[in-house]
Amino acid sequence: MQIYGVLIPKKEQISGYLKEFQQGKGGVLVYLSLVGLLVGGVGVGCIFMLGHGHTINTSSYVPWGLQISTYVFFALVSGGCIFTNFIGNMFFPHHYRSLASRVIFLGLITAIAGFASLASELGHVERMYMFLLSPNPTSPMFWMSVWYSADITILIIEYIHIQRRRHSKGMLYASFVIPVITYCSLGSLFGAVGTMPYYYSSLLPIYFLFSGFLTGNALCAIVAAQQSRRTGNQAAMKPFMRMQKIGLASVFVLTFCRIIVGLSSHQSGYEIFRETFFQNVVFGMLGALVGPFMILMYRRTSAALIFSSVLVLITQFLARLDLVVEGFRVPVFRVYDMPERISYFPSIFEMLVVVFSLSAVALIYIVCEKMGLFEIAETIKGGH
Amino acid sequence: MPSPEDTDILDIMRADLQRALKKPRQQRRWAMAIDLKKCIGCHACTTACMSENLTPPDIHYRPVKEEELGEYPNTGMRFLPRPCMQCDAPSCTQVCPVTATYKRDDGIVVIDYERCIGCRYCLVACPYGARSADVGHYYTGDFHTKTYEVENSGEYGKTSKRTSHWRSPIGNARKCHFCIHRIEKGELTRCSTTCLGSATIFGDINDPQALITKLINKSNVMKYKEELGTKPMVFYLT
Repeated sequence: MQIYGVLIPKKEQISGYLKEFQQGKGGVLVYLSLVGLLVGGVGVGCIFMLGHGHTINTSSYVPWGLQISTYVFFALVSGGCIFTNFIGNMFFPHHYRSLASRVIFLGLITAIAGFASLASELGHVERMYMFLLSPNPTSPMFWMSVWYSADITILIIEYIHIQRRRHSKGMLYASFVIPVITYCSLGSLFGAVGTMPYYYSSLLPIYFLFSGFLTGNALCAIVAAQQSRRTGNQAAMKPFMRMQKIGLASVFVLTFCRIIVGLSSHQSGYEIFRETFFQNVVFGMLGALVGPFMILMYRRTSAALIFSSVLVLITQFLARLDLVVEGFRVPVFRVYDMPERISYFPSIFEMLVVVFSLSAVALIYIVCEKMGLFEIAETIKGGH
Repeated sequence: MPSPEDTDILDIMRADLQRALKKPRQQRRWAMAIDLKKCIGCHACTTACMSENLTPPDIHYRPVKEEELGEYPNTGMRFLPRPCMQCDAPSCTQVCPVTATYKRDDGIVVIDYERCIGCRYCLVACPYGARSADVGHYYTGDFHTKTYEVENSGEYGKTSKRTSHWRSPIGNARKCHFCIHRIEKGELTRCSTTCLGSATIFGDINDPQALITKLINKSNVMKYKEELGTKPMVFYLT
């Protein structure tokens, strides 16, 4: 199988870009993300070398923190890229097709970046082989790992097919159905935990699907807006604008439903919905969803699309952190001088994990873009 | 069998334990009863447990919850010791992705320290907060660790010391295991032997002659968060 020019850029493209890079013409974002990757890498290295006790602020009371929320964020972005690919191919084929390889590539690298963040949170990542040796079929986490592996595999196959112009409709459907199951499994991993009222909901798998679609599409929209600026083809970003509005409206409805269900419950632990009501409405709904929607309603330029997409990505990242961490705010069993509400603020090392994952995604994508890896897909003439 | 009235409660429990150990393991069902009227909130069980299992800072297998009941002027205070409930339908074992935590045939929910990946999903799923994450803290700091902090605690009969990350409880979930290493040697759980008010009763509820069986068959028995369907095997006598 041809590797150069399909999976990775051609040799002459790599050497040509490396020369530019050495001459300081690699692009500001590349140098910035390289610095981010190195600094973040030091943080990740410290976590593994010094251990969790000295580097991260999670505890028995807040077992999951920023690293898990970063994983969830990237995993959902990855899923969203795949949904964008499916909807783009099905409903906007002419505008979308030239961006397909970029979208799938983004889905792939965000999935891997998410896993890097997850790996730094596990107490014993070196025992991951236990998923094969002693699997537990009753665990949502086990099924999530199974489907996550299938998801990455299908993404790689889909990417190779697009790059080799051998894309098939069957593969397109497979690369939609498997991520739906994968990210529903991720939602059920949280939603099935009856002890945590902030998580426990049958709405959560659906919420994850739609917020994944929103964030994945936002990332793709930035790429589409950049491409339309480069090529002068403004029509290419219209599908992304439309999909983002659909995503924002869907997540708004689901967030509203989740809050209402939580507020109307009188069981112990559900007071967390009352306590987080203000932040959920003002920041989670008005700022994170209504704001970008209004921008897209009244400004239809590439700059507006980029701005609203960045806003969506930032606010949804914070929403993932809120979802993961606020679940532990009300302790299930209070003893001694434990506070009535548990607080958590991530350590510098946890923040560096985020820097590492973000920088890895940015660096890999921008370098591959500059090397012209995706140009091959732009010459696709056939359809599905 | 001597009656509770004229014999020390520990002797009765020891006799119950010896009788249970003669049976095959699958015929035993270990359980604990805690008499809340007798608990004086001294926390002796908590400290004894920490000493027995050499638990690191912030990890208590058996904390005691202090509860204020009623409203002024009709108020009271209650102490609620909380070991692992060793549930019959545990939510922690269901969620563990690698079967590192499982229920033995005698009912004790254990953790395989060499299989746990440290994902902490069991901590999230346990409705009693009975599980803790050992992230590698020491009481006396990293560079001046004392022997008692790194010594092998004997939990689950393991021999590895708490010195390195790779073959020790560090990085894993930890929890009360009814002093499994003691009861298999014919000794009672540490909390039941240390209880000043003789409030903690341990034994095999499959044995109709056992003290615990007699006590939990009375009407004043409460199970903590029983409504969740976890079928806890710690009975509170009220």
